[in-house]
Amino acid sequence: MQASVPTATRIKMNSSQTTSRLVKKSPSVCTDLPLSSLDVRDKLRLMKELLGSCYGPTARLKQVHNNIGGSVVTTSTSSVLLQAITSSRPVIGLIKSSVLNHVSRFGDCGLFAAVLCLSLVEEAARRGVGNSAAIRANDRLLALCTGYLQREDCGCRVELDFCSSRSLIALARTVVSSKPTCVLAEPESAHIGRLAVRAFLLTVPCDAPDPVRLGRTVTVPVEGRPVLESAVFPGLLLDAPEHLCGLAGVRGPVRAVLFSASLAGDLGELGDGRIEVHAGVDTDAQILDRLLELGRQALEDGVKLFVCQKVIHPVLQHYLRCGGLIVIERVGVSLMEPLIQLTGAQPVATLHAAIPSAAYGEVHDVSIRHFGSKTMLHLHPAGETAVCSMVLCHRNETMLNELKLVCQKAEHVLRLTLREPWALLGGGCTETLLAAYVRHKSKNDAPEATSALGCSQTEYLLAAEAFCRSLESVAACLEHDGGASVIDLTHAHHWTLPPDVTEQHLEGGTAATLCGCGALESCRKKKWSYLNSECADFSPAPLSTASPLRQPAVLDSFSAKVNALRVAVETANLVLDVRYVIQDVN
Amino acid sequence: MNGRQHVGLQKVSALAGTLRSSVGPVKNYKFILDEASGESVLVCSCFRIIENLEPRCAVGQLVHETVRAHHKGYRTGSGCLLFIAGAWSRAALACLQRGISVKHIIAAMSEGIDICRNVCTKSSVSLKDLAGMGKRTAAPPRLGLQRSEKPITGASRESAKVHEKCLNARGQRKVRLSRHFCETDDDVSQLPDVAVIAESLSHGCESAMKLAAEAAQMLLKTNKRRTGDPSFDVSKVTTCALPGLPEECACVVDGCVVLLSDERAAVAHVLKHQPLKVALVTGDLSQTYRHLGFKGLPAARVRERLDSSACSEADEWMEKVLKLLLDLEVKLILTTGLASQKVIQHCCQNNVLVVEQVSSSVLGIIAGSTGAVPVGYATQLTEPCVGSGVTLEIWRDLSGCERTPLTAVNISTGGTGGPVTAVITSHIRGKLQVLEDQFWACAHRLHHALKDGALLPGAGATEALCVRQLQKQAECRGVEDKGKTGSAAELYRGVVLQLMAEGLIEYAAAVMVNAGRFSAAEARNFVSENLRDFHSDEIDAGKCLQVVLESGREDGVFSAVKPDEAPTVKIYDNLSVKQEAWTRALDLVFLVLQTDAEIITGTGPETESNLMHL
Repeated sequence: MQASVPTATRIKMNSSQTTSRLVKKSPSVCTDLPLSSLDVRDKLRLMKELLGSCYGPTARLKQVHNNIGGSVVTTSTSSVLLQAITSSRPVIGLIKSSVLNHVSRFGDCGLFAAVLCLSLVEEAARRGVGNSAAIRANDRLLALCTGYLQREDCGCRVELDFCSSRSLIALARTVVSSKPTCVLAEPESAHIGRLAVRAFLLTVPCDAPDPVRLGRTVTVPVEGRPVLESAVFPGLLLDAPEHLCGLAGVRGPVRAVLFSASLAGDLGELGDGRIEVHAGVDTDAQILDRLLELGRQALEDGVKLFVCQKVIHPVLQHYLRCGGLIVIERVGVSLMEPLIQLTGAQPVATLHAAIPSAAYGEVHDVSIRHFGSKTMLHLHPAGETAVCSMVLCHRNETMLNELKLVCQKAEHVLRLTLREPWALLGGGCTETLLAAYVRHKSKNDAPEATSALGCSQTEYLLAAEAFCRSLESVAACLEHDGGASVIDLTHAHHWTLPPDVTEQHLEGGTAATLCGCGALESCRKKKWSYLNSECADFSPAPLSTASPLRQPAVLDSFSAKVNALRVAVETANLVLDVRYVIQDVN
Repeated sequence: MNGRQHVGLQKVSALAGTLRSSVGPVKNYKFILDEASGESVLVCSCFRIIENLEPRCAVGQLVHETVRAHHKGYRTGSGCLLFIAGAWSRAALACLQRGISVKHIIAAMSEGIDICRNVCTKSSVSLKDLAGMGKRTAAPPRLGLQRSEKPITGASRESAKVHEKCLNARGQRKVRLSRHFCETDDDVSQLPDVAVIAESLSHGCESAMKLAAEAAQMLLKTNKRRTGDPSFDVSKVTTCALPGLPEECACVVDGCVVLLSDERAAVAHVLKHQPLKVALVTGDLSQTYRHLGFKGLPAARVRERLDSSACSEADEWMEKVLKLLLDLEVKLILTTGLASQKVIQHCCQNNVLVVEQVSSSVLGIIAGSTGAVPVGYATQLTEPCVGSGVTLEIWRDLSGCERTPLTAVNISTGGTGGPVTAVITSHIRGKLQVLEDQFWACAHRLHHALKDGALLPGAGATEALCVRQLQKQAECRGVEDKGKTGSAAELYRGVVLQLMAEGLIEYAAAVMVNAGRFSAAEARNFVSENLRDFHSDEIDAGKCLQVVLESGREDGVFSAVKPDEAPTVKIYDNLSVKQEAWTRALDLVFLVLQTDAEIITGTGPETESNLMHL
């Protein structure tokens, strides 16, 4: 029900009026039960299709651009996609912002959260479950899931073994290969996965006192070189200054000074203040004198590396270079923190006082490295610092940008393992397994649940079915090439059948395939069921009973996925709960 | 997603189609007309066409970005890149139409590019072998399987076993490294003459290539003397475009040629033929100039700064700079920025020559060879910053040619690895850009040839080898896999590889059509016929394209091969450029193939009707 004139027409009327007239404010638009609107449902379905088609390693990509000739971003990453989406419907904005918030905190599983949330809303509506019943049932089922995931005997949880890097690499690799925009071949994704783990390990301090502070990985993108030339270095890589010709005379421990104040020779930080200058006083020359004074002090104090976040006056640069210093300007604010960590220097924030001796830092050594057309200055750490640089190479800009995003994601995910040292089976296996578990469990506890929730048993079972179907539909979203998703009826893992292979192939054991996470092999005695088809409920068997059992090759972040599950269900509940939308159309 | 009618791929194909007539050595000029402004440009190379077309759609921009990135690094091969991207887009489309899934297309095409890259590496001819061949001249290397001769051509290595090939490749690399580091004299002398390489890489731009070769030789001479390094550093080359002179006047000059107006030319006349002291300034030559990032004091915030002082300040500054210059005996100032009219005037009066807008790379080279240190402000100059040993020469007086009298002056540093200038001339102003592009393309081809240390058999021979290899793989795979599993991936592989091969055939055919004499259908027939023969390993790989050359020769259009020479495989391509262009083309196809939707943000005018709104 619409209580006022539609938005679009209102805007048109306003713009056609002459400018200087006062326009009476139009009343807010109030929409009753937004989910019952066909338009909203269409939009939710469109969004689900859009995001679902971006899910997984064989996803379809999206080109994000504006239609006035801006740059084109090709991606399937949720953070980029969602940011690009603007909608006239607040419901979509709600989902968007809660998923984006999840991604900013956990880095991964954004698409999972979004697709699951949209499915939950859609399935509940399709099955005609009352909104309030659905909300209460969803809460209960979510608790069931999270409880199961925390259990020792949880079938889809894998303990991470920090003694070997194998499972960490599997985790990183899953993140890396989940974005097809990177166009990585098998050895390339393996290489990047290993690098991500290596960088992560370098940022974990060895014997730091409590509280442990993780270090930083600084990414250096290099376009036009093959992926396999990517590498990780302890220490920092800075763009080498143009006139740096060799490092003659710079050896051994190098004393460094770090300026966060601009040394451009101006008084940039004046704000709106007013200064009075007497006629004939040359402020520029006076500031320059002050700069040279600072330079002389640095020189006398034996500084060999002079770094400034902002611009350095050419005269000062020249003076310092003549003194044999390495001068680097405009490193930018993002590199300052790692530089402080690496050198132990205190950034000097003013040029109106002498440099305190405590401000100086030190690097062990400097060397020059070349990556493609880039020349970089490598600062080697003096002691044990947890700062490292990751050089990422790729053939073109689009792929490189996505690779950068993916590596940041991998770093985030790896860090989360320090708090919760588990991973979840990837490739859709966790989703199908959870669905099977919830389906089985909810049938058993239906009487108890109905009394607790105050709804009918039918309603609860419908809601549970909607919940399971939603989980399964996320797993099914992994397939984009017309294949079918099936689930085996013993372990409830997720399998994909190529379009021209039938179930008989699996049963006959002719198509030797692995399940989504790669832990199980298909064999003759397995029973199968297509996802989203009716099947008898069963309790998934623990993984340890399977033979042959392999090491799962596809692993998802435990923390990110559990939180994504929570965010998805809670956001879906919120959306289901919206009774009115009130929009200010002025 | 529109399933089997992928719009994105069709767009790539269509864009590439506009360039069909611009691949290969014989190109047609195109006019691109801007209907809004009525301006038009004369373009020839694929890069310039795409640049001037400014495609607005998302796919078009992606294409532009790809080509731009390639052009930035290689300056040549953009046409090949785009054509192949178009051809392989059509291949991918055909695959989709046959119901092959995206996943399988990508897997098979990745394998295809690996095959092609391998063929390139294996069939490449190292420069050393080329030198040897040049001496023997007579027996043209056959590109089929061949065991009689020693491993002269890389192609004959094809018959060797895989691990041997690896060893070979590695061994070769070692040799290349040793050239850089050990620089024994005979190692360098084993390289063929630059002119020989140049001739085989000219691809229809003989005059441009002649210039490039001259430039390379000029630099190599000093390079070899100093470091024994046989590479051709393109960054030490600049160009100077002179309108109003006939094209035959183009030449290469040791030094940096700049154009000076009348007033400054007079100063140059005074200063010529004597060693001069030089100062290098990276900023503008004016009192008001401040370096980048300097915010200064906004006038509104400063009280009591009298206006009248501004004028005298400028005078004061001028006086100071002039005194400094005279004290340091600097006679020549090169700046990357601009100089105010006043500064130029004052300098001229004191016989100091100011040259503006020198490129920073030239500034760097001159700094390197004269010992000068570039400074930001002229007032900063001190004794150690000043370089010496620069000489000026009046290269040519162009007073008659142009409305504003200009004199071309050559600034040289005495042949110590200083800059080399290619002077490009034409009566037609619009053609200068084309000629300059051609020069750079040739220079980069030479550069990459020396850097790779190897060349690919050109004139379509490499494409033919790739086609053959792709087809062979397609066939044998098909047979193998029917027995093994019924998996679709294996079956489709053959189809995809075959379609990729057809893309390469299309390319070869397009080159032939452009060379004249052939209609599109004839060219295709000819290429595929030759390929059929080619299967029997009896025919020279270069044969099919030789016919092209011959036909071109008759027309007098195409003179890459001199008529009196034996029909050897005389035409070569760059190894790394070709590999890179193909890889980039396929990457582009992959990105577009995998894309199924555009998300349009912002509030521009909505033109399309099939948009869905969120």
